[in-house]
Amino acid sequence: MLLIVRLKHTNHLPPPLSEAQVAGNSLIGACPSMDTRYSRQLLFAPIGKEGQKKLGASRVAIVGAGALGAVLANHMVRAGVGFVRIIDRDFVEPSNLQRQMLYDEEDAANHLPKAAAAAEKLKKVNSEVIIDPVIADVTAVNAEELLADCDLILDGTDNFAIRFLINDVAVKHNIPWVYGGAVSAKGMFATIRPHVTPCLRCLIPEPPSGGETCDTAGVIGPIIHIVASYQAVEGLKILVGDQKHRNPHLEHMEIWRNFHTRINLTDKKNPDCPACGKGVFEFLDLSGKEDTFTSLCGRNSVQISPTRDRHVNLDELMERFTPLGKVERNKFLLRFHVDNHYILVVFPNGRVVVQGTDDITIARSLYAKYIGA
Amino acid sequence: MITIKLFAAMAEEAGKETIEMTWQEGMTTEDVKRWLAEQYPSLASRIPAAMVAVNQEFAAFANPLQDGDEVAFIPPVSGG
Ligand SMILES: [Zn+2]
Repeated sequence: MLLIVRLKHTNHLPPPLSEAQVAGNSLIGACPSMDTRYSRQLLFAPIGKEGQKKLGASRVAIVGAGALGAVLANHMVRAGVGFVRIIDRDFVEPSNLQRQMLYDEEDAANHLPKAAAAAEKLKKVNSEVIIDPVIADVTAVNAEELLADCDLILDGTDNFAIRFLINDVAVKHNIPWVYGGAVSAKGMFATIRPHVTPCLRCLIPEPPSGGETCDTAGVIGPIIHIVASYQAVEGLKILVGDQKHRNPHLEHMEIWRNFHTRINLTDKKNPDCPACGKGVFEFLDLSGKEDTFTSLCGRNSVQISPTRDRHVNLDELMERFTPLGKVERNKFLLRFHVDNHYILVVFPNGRVVVQGTDDITIARSLYAKYIGA
Repeated sequence: MITIKLFAAMAEEAGKETIEMTWQEGMTTEDVKRWLAEQYPSLASRIPAAMVAVNQEFAAFANPLQDGDEVAFIPPVSGG
């Protein structure tokens, strides 16, 4: 059985199996036994049998399935977390492949949404885990629905607007979460346990504007794996309930120039913090919210997020657009080429990414012309 | 004397990692922020979003300072 699977997936013959391997295979059978799958993790005393049971009963949400998110999802699924929700708004592009470990050239060629591609890969890794891919932008409208039913939230995002939203949901519903960020060769992470440690708004009084992003300052693969792996291990400590060994620091490193520092967060909550001090969740406030047009900096794209999900029939759109220009379509999205210059990427929930411009005015007019108000 | 330590993009912006500032009785981290923004206007826009640590302990609000303290400014890392 194992042999057949291997043959199907390789172009050349595998080396002949040794006698021991053959004997092992016939003992194991078609499916790797669950007693052996986690054997190394069960031997690790701080997890052990009890911890493994807790992991299996846990629900984790991973926000963002880019570079950090792919590593986080990989660790959670392999470790045997029972339910893993992977939320991402993007589709795989060739420039992701240098560091986003779950994706390949075929995913990029097919413009597969990252959440779907990640789920597809990881189902093959561990079929016992329930993987729930969600292709969406996390917004004030859907954040609680997507995050509040989980025991832990892991930050695989690339911007502070979403992190402040995660923080509001986490504090409001008392869910621990692990912040992580990486750019160039620099990285940072911190565990946030609402009402125990400072929350993100205690740490950062204002959402930073500008600053470096991976799309402007670049990033190298190793810092991604380092930061996300630190986040993952803090996540595992939370899920198995090991309070004693949790990392009380915000850690900051630059791995090209060999620098590492930490600041202690113990007992440093800000009593005036709007979120954890006063219970005011500004980032979840929907009053006065309109459809948002966001320039995706460095990517020559503008994203349009409708305030409320609106159901878009991609088949109908395809019919409408086909006489007007080239249309590509997969199960998850539609790409419509306008004037050989712009591409409108339309998702079934009404979200649109206009590629080929970072000018919100141009994106607004293309959106009005082809999708409607 | 207060030693101000700048990290990442703030150090690059200021062209140095360490700045010394005269200590005065009753001084807090807020005074350091104000002084730094005046002396290095290119840092002014980054100071409000930077995390502040005094002697490697996070300082959430106006922290009183002692002579010899180290005050670090760490701009949060966003990408992922
Ligand atoms: Zn707080």
